[in-house]
Amino acid sequence: MNDDREVLLKVENLCKFFKMGNRELKAVNNVSFDIKKGEVFGLVGESGCGKTTTGRTIIKLYEPTGGNVWFKGRRIVAGTRSYKDEIREKRVWYKEECARLKAEANEKIKAISVGSDEQKRLQAEKIKVGLKEKIDALTAETNAFISEKTNEIKLADYEDKNCDKIYAAEQVKKVQNEYAALIAEESDETKKKALAAECKAEVAKAKKTRLVTQIQMIFQDPIASLDPRMTVRDIIAEGLIIRGEKDKDVINEKVYEMLELVGLVREHADRYPHEFSGGQRQRIGVARAIIMNPEMIIADEPVSALDVSIQAQVINLLNALREKFKLTILFVAHDLSVVKYFSDRIGVMYYGNMVELASSDELFAHPLHPYTKSLLSAIPLPDPIYERQRKRITYNPLAEHDYSEEAPSMKEIAPGHFVFCNSAEEARYKALLSEKQ
Amino acid sequence: MQEKKLQVKELTISFRTQNGKVHAVRDISFDLYKGETLAIVGESGSGKSVTSKAIMGISAVNAIIENGEILYDGKDLTKIDEKQFVELRGNKIAMIFQDPMSSLNPIMKIGKQLTEAMLLKGSSSQKNSRNAFNGMLETLRVNMIEALSGGDSAKAAEITQKTKNFDKFEYAHLDLENAYNEAKEAAEESIDDIDYLVFEAEKNALDLKGLKPRIKLILSTAKKAVSRYVVHEKASEFGELLRRAEEEVRVAESGDTDGLTKTLKQILAVLNEAVALPMPNFFAMGYFVTFSGEEVPDMPVDELNVFLRKYLDDNFMLDFISYAKEGIKLSFERSLEGKKKTVELIDELLPIFEKTPLVKAECDKAGKELAKAVEDSIDRLALKKDDLAYIFGKALENAVNGYFSAVKKNVAAEKKHAKLQAKYDASVAKGKTPDWSVPPSEAVSEELAAENVRSVIRSLKEDYEAAIENADKMDFDGQTVAMIDYLKAQAAGVVNRVTKAKAKHKAIKLMEEVGIPEPQKRFNQYPFEFSGGMRQRIVIAIALAANPDILICDEPTTALDVTIQAQILELINKLKEERKLSVIFITHDLGVVANMADRIAVMYAGKIVEYGTAEDVFYSPAHPYTWALLSSMPDLDTNEKLDAIPGTPPNMIFPPKGDAFAERNKYAMAIDFEMQPPMFKISDTHYAATWLLHPSAPKTEPPKIVTDRIERMKTKGGEQA
Repeated sequence: MNDDREVLLKVENLCKFFKMGNRELKAVNNVSFDIKKGEVFGLVGESGCGKTTTGRTIIKLYEPTGGNVWFKGRRIVAGTRSYKDEIREKRVWYKEECARLKAEANEKIKAISVGSDEQKRLQAEKIKVGLKEKIDALTAETNAFISEKTNEIKLADYEDKNCDKIYAAEQVKKVQNEYAALIAEESDETKKKALAAECKAEVAKAKKTRLVTQIQMIFQDPIASLDPRMTVRDIIAEGLIIRGEKDKDVINEKVYEMLELVGLVREHADRYPHEFSGGQRQRIGVARAIIMNPEMIIADEPVSALDVSIQAQVINLLNALREKFKLTILFVAHDLSVVKYFSDRIGVMYYGNMVELASSDELFAHPLHPYTKSLLSAIPLPDPIYERQRKRITYNPLAEHDYSEEAPSMKEIAPGHFVFCNSAEEARYKALLSEKQ
Repeated sequence: MQEKKLQVKELTISFRTQNGKVHAVRDISFDLYKGETLAIVGESGSGKSVTSKAIMGISAVNAIIENGEILYDGKDLTKIDEKQFVELRGNKIAMIFQDPMSSLNPIMKIGKQLTEAMLLKGSSSQKNSRNAFNGMLETLRVNMIEALSGGDSAKAAEITQKTKNFDKFEYAHLDLENAYNEAKEAAEESIDDIDYLVFEAEKNALDLKGLKPRIKLILSTAKKAVSRYVVHEKASEFGELLRRAEEEVRVAESGDTDGLTKTLKQILAVLNEAVALPMPNFFAMGYFVTFSGEEVPDMPVDELNVFLRKYLDDNFMLDFISYAKEGIKLSFERSLEGKKKTVELIDELLPIFEKTPLVKAECDKAGKELAKAVEDSIDRLALKKDDLAYIFGKALENAVNGYFSAVKKNVAAEKKHAKLQAKYDASVAKGKTPDWSVPPSEAVSEELAAENVRSVIRSLKEDYEAAIENADKMDFDGQTVAMIDYLKAQAAGVVNRVTKAKAKHKAIKLMEEVGIPEPQKRFNQYPFEFSGGMRQRIVIAIALAANPDILICDEPTTALDVTIQAQILELINKLKEERKLSVIFITHDLGVVANMADRIAVMYAGKIVEYGTAEDVFYSPAHPYTWALLSSMPDLDTNEKLDAIPGTPPNMIFPPKGDAFAERNKYAMAIDFEMQPPMFKISDTHYAATWLLHPSAPKTEPPKIVTDRIERMKTKGGEQA
């Protein structure tokens, strides 16, 4: 594996909490990973573990609670929870510190025993002045910290909300600069005018460019994700139209191209989704995603609702497209055999936490986290004798881990192989791994 | 040989739709043996669910069962009416559906959904049990008299008296046993509750003050445990303890809970001792109480049992058993005689059915004669009903009628077909390519219809000949014991009225069995409060509520993820073992099946294309469709490109002339497009319908991805073994 590829998507301590009455459901809790250009990253786990929520938060279908997502070096998702927590902690710390300093000073004043009353009073005065200075310094520090964090919150909110606008403005500036240079070079007046007109059109297009639309999504259920009252042409072209394409011929040409690319024919463009079989509908979903020329696709269980023979068709299609367009794919699924077949690296999630992350061969050859082991032991295989001997490992987090002394975090056990554990477990896993090799 | 639970023979099902007739299931046959799992695998639209729905009698209204039989317990399920189906559905054949959310009622509590069927079926099954008990006992009586009395009216009277006595004390027995069971259940329930309470109080300093109503409830339950054979010897002491506990609840309100805990512990000790006592033989006691006119002597249960058993044997049981054995023997011998006669009669009458064409009057007469002979030859005392014999009369009549109506209708259908064909040809001649094709002539071939008649007779003959051959292997002692057990079970069905409380108790037991934690609490929740896997467990519990023989699982895990799927599959396997269920498991995922199935039927376009044990189908698949299914799913070692099956399944309004899979099959030969392949036999257990198995076909190997995997599996299996 060439690890020097550019990091396309970087997910940093992403959190997404849902409100549930007074409590919060931690659907995604501190998940971090990066996806390199041209890579397929698989995200697995049982239903309810937060893998779909992760995908949807990345593409801004959900408001993030905390953490950042960087796409092509720009921040597209930014949550504010971590800064708010820091501010709260700082305030608590400030109060405690003040109380401590005051108590210290009082103690010192009480301890003064030498000298006359006047001397004692002076000494006490001195201590009090010292205390005031210390507290002032503390207040200043805290205020600075808070204002810094508040600015960061503001910035995060701004970027989260306007990442597309910022990107569009940048694009516009780039186009304008390019044309300004061209126009300056040109001496002929008529040509200058033509260039200016061209520039105007290009700027209009650049204004409508979006960053987030370079990530597209394929949904699980091909029936529910297509509008039953739109023709296939409308469904596929919708994104293009929203992006500002007005020329009907261009749109049609593009739609036909996409249909043929995904193994359908031109005639299908005027039909409605209900006239297609499940596999064909999923192909329409794929066509709708790739017409936007995305750099990255988030495929949310794209084959789970399909028949086995159709599954293979869709997987083969995704594989072909991936090679053709050099797509980067975040592949969310619970079927481990499919994920193993399709992905370069795999992240395993359990109740909102990423518990293990490794290249797919490494993960299947040396699973370390007990949950991964239990997940792997549940895969059914087309082999009756093996199946009858197969023992499923059950995962009981309370029995497996003792986190009373040290809380777990992501630790790198082997190069590229991360496990969610504490240092005692880290040592054990490392020993296990070296034993196996 | 194993006992066949269900036989499906030449089943053909179509649907009437606006666009024409959809041939959903075409001529499939399979058997389901007792305690095995048969997996039906295929793509959506291959007819696997249609088959299972026909077995359940819940086909869609536009479905027509064109041909074939589904034999279960002396009935042909394609011919019985809705009323008879209500008796079977749930009670004998139960079904688990794909989506647990849509098969549960969202606005009804789980507990109510679980007990609903029990309460509904309770009253009707009580009536059924009464009828079955009376009918069987009466038949037994008649047979016993004929076997033993030899015209001696005194002997006959004695036998009649004995049967009456059996009836009488059997009910007495059940009353006694019920009273005992209630007391024991109360004791067990109290033990659980008190145990929990004391444990909590000691460990976590539970505040006993606020628990007054709960403790009172527990105490009132505990009171019910006082009965003979449960809390008997210490009854007065126990009563005293309960009274003290009630007083101490009041004391505990002021904060001092030590006394209460202590008393509860004492109650617990008494109850534990009581539950450990052995159970008396109530069957014998019923007889003693009814006929001796004495009180049951007061002695330890072990001695009591010996005493009662001896009393019963001396006065009644030994005689009754020997009589019953004679009766069963007589009935069996008679039936054997009848069978021999029937076989002779068939030999004599068969020429009438072999004529071409058949003559209606002759056929009807001979048919009636045969039906009567078969009717007479049925052994009414046999507990395992002879499916073929029971439905013979109806089946023969239908086949004969089918033949004569086919002969008549033939002309009209032929005309219609010719007309359509002419229209088609005309438009082709004009240079068009019509977007429709001519459906094959609907006319039933005369030859086939006549063959159908003969096959009904022949299969019965074969069945009877086998029975005659095996006649001397009959175990009459075993039969007699089974008969007594059967009568006991039916009587229990009459006495045990299903009350709400009983249904709840049973439902909670069931919920525990299918692995739902805290069933007491869960009982009063709604379906949305359950996760997907838990919901599917509830659906399984509902399916098992009436103790069925056959469980049909229609894609039970398709909507669930891997870990939950593994749990549900393990649960179904466990229940199958424990309850000796026969399971029909329908799925499109071959991986799931490897774990579950004893035998596998692969279906495509309404036909079974391959049929064999799990090992046969996975290690030496023979049909190209099975190859395609196997090669289109990745496993953990797959790296090469998957072999997706190109195209889509054929339109079943116009089923292809030849092999339905030919169009998507890269191994298809010319003959595949022309003629349907028959089932070729590969081994005793393994069959496949593909021309590749024909002796003159070229030798073809499965695709590389499949052979590689089989190779890998074999080495892997070897390593583990």
